Amino acid sequence: MTVRIRFFARFRELLGTDIVVAVPKNKGLSDLIKDVASRNKEGYNAIFDEKGAFREFVILMQNGRRLETSDASEIKVADGDEIAVFPPVAGG
Amino acid sequence: MLSKRERERYKRQMMLFGDEGQERLKKANIFIAGAGGLGSPVSIYLAVAGVGTLTVVDKDVVELTNLNRQILHNDRDIGKKKVVSAEEKLRAINPDITVKVIDTTIDESNCARLIGRADGIVDAMDNYPTRYLLNDIALQKNIPLFHGAIRGFYGQATTIIPGKTACLRCIFPSAPPKEVFPVVGVTPGFIGMIQVNEVLKYLLGTGELLANRLLIWDGMTAHAEEIAVVRNPACVSCGAGPASKKTPAVNTKKIPKGKKK
Repeated sequence: MTVRIRFFARFRELLGTDIVVAVPKNKGLSDLIKDVASRNKEGYNAIFDEKGAFREFVILMQNGRRLETSDASEIKVADGDEIAVFPPVAGG
Repeated sequence: MLSKRERERYKRQMMLFGDEGQERLKKANIFIAGAGGLGSPVSIYLAVAGVGTLTVVDKDVVELTNLNRQILHNDRDIGKKKVVSAEEKLRAINPDITVKVIDTTIDESNCARLIGRADGIVDAMDNYPTRYLLNDIALQKNIPLFHGAIRGFYGQATTIIPGKTACLRCIFPSAPPKEVFPVVGVTPGFIGMIQVNEVLKYLLGTGELLANRLLIWDGMTAHAEEIAVVRNPACVSCGAGPASKKTPAVNTKKIPKGKKK
């Protein structure tokens, strides 16, 4: 099955976007994003802390529905899912 | 009542929403938090549209590094208080409106008082702690909050209607880290226009608001996308929904379609 990962803003600059990945069954959402983010160290570090947990400001959506990042390791993805990962921007 | 001069000034937009619409704008009081990158285009366009009272709050002094985006301020304003510069420009742009400026830092002790009985709050801040404060007061007073934020070529905007939509904390429970953010002037220009467009629709009671919709702008690819957002029942700011039962701050009755003068 395939899943589309969409990064926004700073994450997009570092990791690109609209990344379609082939995912084995029962892969957790958290691990999936870690795999994809690992292509760029700075990108990975922007999203995850030293312990591999999502940084607290990261917004995660599965098919337009907001998820708690703390639940992400438990959440399974399904074929055709669209996952959005973004940081709020703060400037004015 | 609109003066003859005002009828002439707003003639072309009154073709869209008539006397009634223009009167609504004239009666409105909009609070603009910040006179920087977002606050500049926001206040200029609210002024030219004839929003009757604008209250602009900022604590800073104009610096040379501001001038790539803060279009209220000119080279000769360097060293001047931003609100002084803002007041001069906005009065010159439209002497038919009332411009109030306050030179202060928005904090917990003064936020509710500064906002007073505004009909809408425009978030033109550059940090989340103050944004959360504006959000809390907006909820408490049942005043809509028009959120915007930018970084580089990216921006986001949403319209928060207390009791009806997700609040700022439902969408962004945690602030991103502080930084000196990169920015090119067109980005706050673009997001500021979304905010003003929202304010005008809200005041006119027409169109569809960016309610429960987070607009995300990527200037690099010229893509605007939106993400549906929902209220978080456990939200620390609006979870208990204390503001939800109050009456709206302004008349949101729709203007009948096709009504022109």
